[in-house]
Amino acid sequence: MSSRQPTGNGLNPIVIIGAGHSGVAVAAGLRTRGWGGDILLLEAEKETPYERPPLSKELLKAGAPDESAVLRKEKFYEDKHIDRRAGLTVDALDPAARTLQLSDGSRQGYHRLVIATGSRARSLTVPGAGLPGVQALRTRDDALELKRALVPGARVAIIGAGYIGLEVAAAASARGCEVTVLEFQDRVMSRVTSEPVSRFFEQLHERNGVRFVFGAAVTAIEGDERAERVVTADGSSYPADVVLAGIGVVPNQELAACAGLECRDGILVDGDGRTSVPDIYATGDVTRFTSSIDGASQRLECIQNAMGQADRVAADITGQDAAEPEIPWFWTVQHGVRLQTAGVRHPADEVIVRGAPADGRFSVVYLRDGRLAAVDTIAGLTDFRPARKLIVRKARIDPLLAADPGTPLADAAFAAA
Amino acid sequence: MSNNKLTVVDREGSTHSLEWEPDQTLMEALRDNDLPVLASCGGTASCATCHVFLEKEVFDTVAERSEDELEVLAEAEGYQECGSRLSCQLDFSRELNGATVTLAPEE
Repeated sequence: MSSRQPTGNGLNPIVIIGAGHSGVAVAAGLRTRGWGGDILLLEAEKETPYERPPLSKELLKAGAPDESAVLRKEKFYEDKHIDRRAGLTVDALDPAARTLQLSDGSRQGYHRLVIATGSRARSLTVPGAGLPGVQALRTRDDALELKRALVPGARVAIIGAGYIGLEVAAAASARGCEVTVLEFQDRVMSRVTSEPVSRFFEQLHERNGVRFVFGAAVTAIEGDERAERVVTADGSSYPADVVLAGIGVVPNQELAACAGLECRDGILVDGDGRTSVPDIYATGDVTRFTSSIDGASQRLECIQNAMGQADRVAADITGQDAAEPEIPWFWTVQHGVRLQTAGVRHPADEVIVRGAPADGRFSVVYLRDGRLAAVDTIAGLTDFRPARKLIVRKARIDPLLAADPGTPLADAAFAAA
Repeated sequence: MSNNKLTVVDREGSTHSLEWEPDQTLMEALRDNDLPVLASCGGTASCATCHVFLEKEVFDTVAERSEDELEVLAEAEGYQECGSRLSCQLDFSRELNGATVTLAPEE
């Protein structure tokens, strides 16, 4: 432990609310950076904090163990003197008094507060949405409940063709379920990718027995004791034993908003994770911030952001330097095919396809004002690493060269960026 | 059940001795011992932030790389055909007791 660091001994603890990737990374990062004071990690769920990406991927597979890896072993928290209190929520925050009101009735002071409460699945609001058999996928309990329902022959209706909906569709069809995906837009993953990628994944799913209904506005879930069918605005009805809503997430910002922290679909933070209130930080899915790459206001739901922000919070609290923010990246695996994305595409970007989707392996690059803004790689990562570097450089790209998969992407960049 | 002992060479060339517990992947053992392994994909063979090099003789004794792992590694900085592994994909193995593991350069 470095002696030049403030030790924090004798002060109130640094309190971290939320033990997802970002919250746990703040706690671990504070210790790595030499913080010797008390750290209190509060978490609503009772279990040891766990990895979330496997919940919609590995865990749903037939025969896969019902566990998802823990972020850190139980012993890690003991060894690092991180006081973890699980099964506890925070009812109120009083920034003036620097105290929290906890769900067990106690009050807790803090030296610094870190809000890492993440996001929750957006709820369906149509009639019947509360029936048994209708669920979302966010926690391990959700994943296990869904896994039990994915038996051969089960009729699975998935509302929303985003990452979660499609990963579940792939898992369910692999387990012999009859899968129907109902999507309001006219293609899959329309929020995050371009048409060529959407069409490729649609065909991949269809070859694996998944049925899509586009332009589907769900108006009700019907059933007596439990969900039996999904009804859409055009009067169609889709029989279902299980209904999964994969319609996005909302940030868990209520505690912060009630305490007067500035929020706008996410808790507003600066590049160091500082909120509008002194001594209170926020990190991970719950935050909204200005992109250092393109100046856009954004909320990012990805581990890379959760980890990067956590590091900057831990650095700021201990008065140290943090690594430069990485560009965000995302991935999904469906029917064994990996889609990996770097950067954040805008719908108005110029779209250039590298390679032939019919070959099952291609990339799509996105140019904004002639500069590389984002890339999708499908079943091949060759363009991924060079693209990340070019995006950071805001490299100007020759569209003709970029369209030729035989030309390395780096060679499509003009020399003077 | 006893642990494996490992020597880890970090990116500055310093060596660290650590114990690898049987219920961990190598990535978890590295991370829990404060080595700078980001593991930003959560151990799903999707990023290369836990990329390590094994010595050839040790490399040859452990289970082969999956297609996913190979795809990610082949594009990683400093990839070695007979040495590169994603440490998140290496389950505890007696063959690795006493091995030296070198952290790959950062991307």
